[in-house]
Amino acid sequence: MSLRLDEFLIDVKPQREWGWLVITYLFFGGAGAGLFLASLYIGHPWAEGLGLLLLLIGTLFLLLDLGRPERFWRAFFRARTSWISRGCYFITALTVLGGLDLLLQYAGADAATAWPVKAGAAVAAVAVMIYTGFVLSPSPAIPFWNSTFFPVIFFAYSLLAGIDFLILASPVLPPPVIDVARLEKVQFGLVLLCLLMVMSHLSVMSGSAIAARKSIQLLTRGKWGVLFLGGVIGVGLVLPLLLAWPALWQPSFQTMFAITAVLALLRLFGDYLFRFLVIRAGLYDPLL
Amino acid sequence: MTRYGMVIDLNICIGCNACTMACKAEHATPPGVFWGKVLEKEVGKYPAARRVFLPVLCNHCKVPACMDVCPTGATSKREDGIVMVDYDQCIGCRSCMEACPYGARTFHDKAATYYGNGRTPFEEAKQSFSEGVVMKCNFCVDRVEQGGDPACVQTCPTECRVFGDLDDPESKVSRLAAEKKARPLLAEKGLEPSVFYIGS
Repeated sequence: MSLRLDEFLIDVKPQREWGWLVITYLFFGGAGAGLFLASLYIGHPWAEGLGLLLLLIGTLFLLLDLGRPERFWRAFFRARTSWISRGCYFITALTVLGGLDLLLQYAGADAATAWPVKAGAAVAAVAVMIYTGFVLSPSPAIPFWNSTFFPVIFFAYSLLAGIDFLILASPVLPPPVIDVARLEKVQFGLVLLCLLMVMSHLSVMSGSAIAARKSIQLLTRGKWGVLFLGGVIGVGLVLPLLLAWPALWQPSFQTMFAITAVLALLRLFGDYLFRFLVIRAGLYDPLL
Repeated sequence: MTRYGMVIDLNICIGCNACTMACKAEHATPPGVFWGKVLEKEVGKYPAARRVFLPVLCNHCKVPACMDVCPTGATSKREDGIVMVDYDQCIGCRSCMEACPYGARTFHDKAATYYGNGRTPFEEAKQSFSEGVVMKCNFCVDRVEQGGDPACVQTCPTECRVFGDLDDPESKVSRLAAEKKARPLLAEKGLEPSVFYIGS
């Protein structure tokens, strides 16, 4: 009896190559760059330094994930085609230019000297926030990642997390005083953007390849359903939106900070969970 | 120009895994690491139930997704189409594994051996890789350069595998692919694999 090729529909296969070390890098790397960018905008050098520190902590997780971490420098060799290689340059540029900006501020350099460094650091921060989306999105093997939404989603989530770290650190940071109420208004818009982008991604993917549809099933009705719908969407996005509205009009800083700190923690929880689930819900297409 | 490829006739494969073991013996791959393997599935219902087999290996794609994502250049394509991994350059980031839709690559994360006392002299002589790198089939490039066939092809007792130059229309592999209308796996991915399958 002749065999039919479509009998070899070996089922979808979950990716297990990248785990919590990569996920933690995605979280801290993005948040660090987001915190740096937000701090650069409001002109807070201490917070800029904190952003760089978060980025370096995240990068450490990425190094630990490598099979041969002592060869990490080789990852700079293929920037022509590899987004991981490009990311190495972005992280290096942000660290160097961000550090230089802090030095110039410490030395009291004039605005004309500092401006090009600040502009370069801002561009590098944006690149660090979005490039991880480009690492995932060209994947021909994992259809759920194969989406142009990811760079935008990762940018929005990174800025959201960065500002959340800024809110949480605001009481202990030296002057200038951080306007938490103003940051919370930005967060309101960013949460809406994240919600819109995540829903759009799910909507587009629901008409995509079989593995992408299975990924969505996992996230909505399968074993990750409670974590995704309850954690990422509910606790991480919708609940902060609902709670933020009355908080925006609080006159006292203490009350305002207490509420926004809780909101920030909820959003950070949702952010980490989002990155965790995006990586864990990646499925390979069946072979036939 | 030569472009090496393979045709596998699923109608002939009996799922004996001789190819799997020949590959392991040829490259002395560690426990749990298979550069080539035979996937198995049960189809149909009793009394017509039966097992079917799908031998898989690196597809040595003409447009290899694994090569573009590699940040070090460890993955490269030779002029004869064979996709290679330089184990001295690989940093073990596994981005190639995420990019390969065929699941053809394996991460060698720990130095496991088949025997308790470390690597055997045979393994020391044969293994060209260290732990912490990603490995895959290289079409037995050493044998091919000497005019031979890959170990899996030479070993197959049913001769369901044919290896040769896909760019030569007169080669056995090209003629077989054309006559039997052989098809690659996941052609829609656009990677132009060099491994084709025959099955109606």
